[in-house]
Amino acid sequence: MSQLNAAARAPLDSRAKMIEFHEVHKYYGDYHALRGISATIREGEFFSLLGPSGCGKTTLLRTIAGFEDISSGAVLIDGKDMSDVAPNKRPTNMVFQSYAIFPHLTVGENVGFGLRRDPRSKAEKAKAVEEALEMVGLKGYGARAAHALSGGQRQRVALARALILKPKVLLLDEPLSALDKKIREQMQVELIKLQREVGITFVLVTHDQEEALVMSDRIAVMFEGEIAQLADPETLYRRPNSRRVADFIGVMNFLPAQILGEAAGHVQLEVGGLGRFEVTEEQASARASGAEPVVGFRPETLTILYEGQQAHDREAPATIDEVVYYGDMTYYDVKLDGVDAPVRISMRNVFGRPVLDVGTRTRVAWSAGALVLFR
Amino acid sequence: MKFSSLKGYAFLYLVFLYAPIVLLPVFAFNSGTIIAFPLKGFTLDWFRDLFANQTLGLALKNSLIIAVSTSILSTTLGVFAARASTRFKFPGKTGVMGLIMLPLVLPEIIIASSLLVVLLAVGMPLSLFTVILGHTLMATPYAIAVLNAAFSSLDRSLEEAAYDLGETKWSTFRLIILPLVTPGIISSALMSFTISLDEFIVAFSLAGKETTLPIYIFSQLRFPKQIPMIMALGTCLVVASIVLLATAEYFRRRGLAKTGAKDTGGFL
Ligand SMILES: Nc1ncnc2c1ncn2[C@@H]1O[C@H](COP(=O)(O)OP(=O)(O)O)[C@@H](O)[C@H]1O
Ligand SMILES: [Mg+2]
Repeated sequence: MSQLNAAARAPLDSRAKMIEFHEVHKYYGDYHALRGISATIREGEFFSLLGPSGCGKTTLLRTIAGFEDISSGAVLIDGKDMSDVAPNKRPTNMVFQSYAIFPHLTVGENVGFGLRRDPRSKAEKAKAVEEALEMVGLKGYGARAAHALSGGQRQRVALARALILKPKVLLLDEPLSALDKKIREQMQVELIKLQREVGITFVLVTHDQEEALVMSDRIAVMFEGEIAQLADPETLYRRPNSRRVADFIGVMNFLPAQILGEAAGHVQLEVGGLGRFEVTEEQASARASGAEPVVGFRPETLTILYEGQQAHDREAPATIDEVVYYGDMTYYDVKLDGVDAPVRISMRNVFGRPVLDVGTRTRVAWSAGALVLFR
Repeated sequence: MKFSSLKGYAFLYLVFLYAPIVLLPVFAFNSGTIIAFPLKGFTLDWFRDLFANQTLGLALKNSLIIAVSTSILSTTLGVFAARASTRFKFPGKTGVMGLIMLPLVLPEIIIASSLLVVLLAVGMPLSLFTVILGHTLMATPYAIAVLNAAFSSLDRSLEEAAYDLGETKWSTFRLIILPLVTPGIISSALMSFTISLDEFIVAFSLAGKETTLPIYIFSQLRFPKQIPMIMALGTCLVVASIVLLATAEYFRRRGLAKTGAKDTGGFL
């Protein structure tokens, strides 16, 4: 999906810098909320701040909008230092988590609120409001009372209200978290389309890793006021740089590993259940959280082999310990021979291929190239 | 239906609360000069006396001037204080708010005598103005209590959104905050008005030669033959209160309906 987003546009690195954080620190009293954030967000990028609750995502977003003063460092927007620029003078607009729809105004008045100081004629402004409403799929809603709208509709009004000002940057603080799953997924796709249509830089705050993966060009994963990893979704998913990031994004299986030696850009390992093999240096750059090295692999990188199937690369004997059927997918927890803790494998269900029972002896196909070594 | 003890309690409560008020119009239209049953006959004489009474007219006018001024002053001060206490953090906030709210628990007689001492010491002549000051001091804590509730139920991101959309802090206040706290402002104004209108002790101490409605009524209670007229006056006041309350509640509910806010209790 992120490919869908990034497709047919200039590569990120060649685009102008839209937002720059230089060593941004923020203290609330004694509490160190932002601990030296440095990052660059490019023009037209869909950028996400992802992390658990309380890690400082909202605080960082609000430093862009100007609602939080920073304790040290600098925030630049479009090359200009923002330290002396008030929120109402910044080229940013925000979609608030609560949407902040003005309840005493109509939908149209809400959307047109930012045009109050616009020198255009009344008719032109009305037209702009109508266009903004149409863009978010609320054509003809202008005269309605804003407080009577559903959650999804409020969200659209908040979007239209922010986008009508054609900001350089649109800031979104968990805009979808209050919506039902179905509407949320629908809005994710609509937001991606909208962003491509308007070409504005979007900065999204979310604690939902799936949402971030689906929507973003790049993601900054934050823990405790620091950026732990900044990468595109695929890199983040396939090559997390620490066990903490790996744990936070998707499901990752871990097995204790023993490092036997290193030579010529390769690391030799011995892993219970998988045996001896080697990985490249590139796969071995991630940090473990403890002293013990572990290898990690995603559930879909392993495959259960049926009778007569051959592994492309390597295989390991195992027993099925638990089966969770999801309709399109089945999750198997399998015990590799010689390992007590089960690992999770996800298999796409294929017509004519039975779901295996608990206790079945089987073989698991795997490949050393799909592993990440955390050390 | 079984008459539970709780229902009985509620019934008695209402009787005690409203029986005296029901008696007001009964005797206001009774032609006998003595307040006692049996009733004699129907008359409008007491109302005629009432409207012909110039001292009373003056007292009423004074009271209205005081009450309206108090209402405006204490509500305005209340808006500032409530805004400050709900939105800003500043050193000594708890102490300052505590001091502002103190008159709520001080006996009126203490407020009245200490104000009198201060005013005499500064050499300020007693007048309607000094009563307004005293009443504002008394009514402001009530205004703040009501307005605090209104301000603290405001979502902070509403004002940030307006600021973000290019408005200044002041225009945000005018365009977003003020309209949304209007129901609270109406409640506060009405409450301050009522507190001032029927206040006796402070008015009596600080009015000097002037007369207010409660002072006048109190002075007339010594003359039995004036009592039926006071009953007529009381009847008028009850009707006026009901009209005022109903109007305020109408505007409050209309404000709520317009913003779709939850009704958190009003007057009616
Ligand atoms: N105004 C504030 N005063 C004091 N602490 C704050 C304030 N705002 C946020 N914090 C603290 O800063 C940390 C980060 O908050 P926030 O940026 O809202 O986290 P997130 O959006 O990632 O959940 C939290 O621990 C929070 O308690
Ligand atoms: Mg947040």
